[in-house]
Amino acid sequence: MASNEEGSIGTSLHGVTAKEHVFSFSADASSQVVPSNDPTSKFALPVDSEHRAKVFNPLSFAKPHMRAFHLGWISFFTCFISTFAAAPLVPIIRDNLDLTKTDIGNAGVASVSGAIFSRLAMGAVCDLLGARYGTAFSLMLTAPMVFTMSFATGPVGYLAVRFMIGFCLATFVSCQYWTSVMFNGKIIGLVNGCAGGWGDMGGGVTQLLMPMVFHVIKLAGATPFMAWRIAFFVPGFLQVVMGILVLTFGQDLPDGNLSTLQKSGQVSKDKFSKVFWFAVKNYRTWILFVLYGFSMGIELTINNVISGYFFDRFNLKLQTAGIVAASFGMANFFARPFGGYASDVAARLFGMRGRLWILWIFQTVGALFCIWLGRANSLPIAILAMILFSIGTQAACGALFGVAPFVSRRSLGLISGLTGAGGNFGSGLTQLLFFSTSRFSTAEGLSLMGAMAVLCTLPVAFIHFPQWGSMFLRPSRDGERSKEEYYYSSEWTEDEKRQGLHEGSIKFAENSRSERSRKIALADFPTQETGSQTVV
Amino acid sequence: MAIHKSLFASLLICLLFQISHGATKERLFSDLEKGALEVTAKPSREGVLDAGIDKLSITWKLSSTATKEAEFTTIKVKLCYAPVSQVDRPWRKTENELFKDKSCPHKIITRAYDKSPQSFEYTLERDIPTGTYFVRAYAVDAKDHEVAFGQSTNEAKSTNLFSVQAISGRHKSLDIASVCFSVFSVLALLVFFVNEKRKAKIEQSK
Repeated sequence: MASNEEGSIGTSLHGVTAKEHVFSFSADASSQVVPSNDPTSKFALPVDSEHRAKVFNPLSFAKPHMRAFHLGWISFFTCFISTFAAAPLVPIIRDNLDLTKTDIGNAGVASVSGAIFSRLAMGAVCDLLGARYGTAFSLMLTAPMVFTMSFATGPVGYLAVRFMIGFCLATFVSCQYWTSVMFNGKIIGLVNGCAGGWGDMGGGVTQLLMPMVFHVIKLAGATPFMAWRIAFFVPGFLQVVMGILVLTFGQDLPDGNLSTLQKSGQVSKDKFSKVFWFAVKNYRTWILFVLYGFSMGIELTINNVISGYFFDRFNLKLQTAGIVAASFGMANFFARPFGGYASDVAARLFGMRGRLWILWIFQTVGALFCIWLGRANSLPIAILAMILFSIGTQAACGALFGVAPFVSRRSLGLISGLTGAGGNFGSGLTQLLFFSTSRFSTAEGLSLMGAMAVLCTLPVAFIHFPQWGSMFLRPSRDGERSKEEYYYSSEWTEDEKRQGLHEGSIKFAENSRSERSRKIALADFPTQETGSQTVV
Repeated sequence: MAIHKSLFASLLICLLFQISHGATKERLFSDLEKGALEVTAKPSREGVLDAGIDKLSITWKLSSTATKEAEFTTIKVKLCYAPVSQVDRPWRKTENELFKDKSCPHKIITRAYDKSPQSFEYTLERDIPTGTYFVRAYAVDAKDHEVAFGQSTNEAKSTNLFSVQAISGRHKSLDIASVCFSVFSVLALLVFFVNEKRKAKIEQSK
């Protein structure tokens, strides 16, 4: 097939055949000569056979890898600012729009619910249109919603606008997808952790930014009830700017944009129904859905309620409550990347089992500190509990996305989408149960939410990979099922395998051998050699 | 980590200042002398008043039943929420501890205490929210502690209440700017999309 010739350069979805490995183990002198048209030399960073970067350099903006990283996380950051822009201004908004606690609670639920659907859709959009358009759609189609906040006159309008703005949280999926196709599996935990964490920081920055913008606009002469509406133009404008930057400077895949690669036959289009089916059929997807609901989910809930909690319970001023609330979100700067990094380190030592244990530990510890936060009666203890809680929960988010890229290769986008949707679902659920009624005080709600999170983290013990094991079980002893290739090629039907459509998954399977624990990987080394020699 | 430690430390220091500032306020509302001042608040017109436009005619004078008159140095007149405006709004809750009480957040006027009857024409501020209100005057002593009060309504806060409608905060210029930016955003996206599809088609036909 002509497309095979093109494919031999190596793209993330339609890759080379296994023959390539002969070169990496052979001592033949002729193979040492690097062909003059070696495509990997055109990248600023060292890349693997799929042209994904093997090194992460956050200070660089080189295309395509680091540029994608920066555009991705900043877009996501901007969307977080917009989604939670209302939260620190609620004390003003509730007076202007005559809101009750129920109205505010419901709007908080609405602000995270929209993204349940948009994150699902985004997974598919990325698979089909590429990460750039996924991000740009999310940014530029929800910017009008942010501007529309200036029209709100009552609880219904407020809720509707917050619901629609919330759709932009789908950029999380496009951002994680973009980094997953740009960076190699060995560092994906750290990269996804940084992108996710620095993006999530937007939830913290907005608690500082919006009151500040509001204050400046008031100084310029506007009344409070008009100033908060004008303040919303800032996040809206940022979204439009980011959307244009993403479309101008971004690139979907290491080798080019999706539409160009598809038209030239280098990347094959997959069928959405198949992608969807394999994502949904995989039980691990749903466990991740629940887990993320109680790490990211409670983080989103906290973004909505924590400023008001400190304002009302400890009688802090609006700006002070904003500073405290901001420090929760800002911890994301290092906490989430740390979680991803810890996951990568655990994988190096213990393989996938290490990743799963790290995930459980961080998430449970974070939830325990959440229980403590609700029970703290003095301000310093509450702040201490909140900071420890934020570190635990955010590290868990990072650790989870060290696991997610390995659940499926074919349906990577959709699984990111489903997991992300789970985060929003968890947030909507916890806000609805604990923070929208007068049944629990906010303090009680926090402790109950923490307890629920401890319970809902237990399912991580059930995630089992036949080739790598689970928290309590060893990998399968069966010769065939214990191979990564078996797991990843089981997502393709026999027909499709005959057509060679699964070769990208095989490529990925070989690169994912890093998820075996060090002991097993070393013991297996002779078999790898024999494997490639048989091909020769 | 070091950045975070110093952030936490500076937070603690700021907050300790705040706490110590408000440390000794255990004074209760129930300790204040009721009805020490006779307060009336007459709206400038019937029906729901408009914030920023309508006025209240407020008068206050010493009541014949007052006993702590010697301590009065200042009178603080405030706009307070009626119970109906406090329902499902815990940030407007009435608390007995004076420093926690949030039911009278809007200051009308503060004047030095004068034996003779006082009056004030108050134009409702533009940041007054929609709700039902009454007026209360606190008599404050030289240490800035409340000692007595009087209000324009009865003890159950059910008589002589008036309603206010807040300003909307909207403005035509805002609406227009909003629409313009929105249209620009969607158009820009479409332009990029169509352009790229066209370029890809050209690539393919080459």
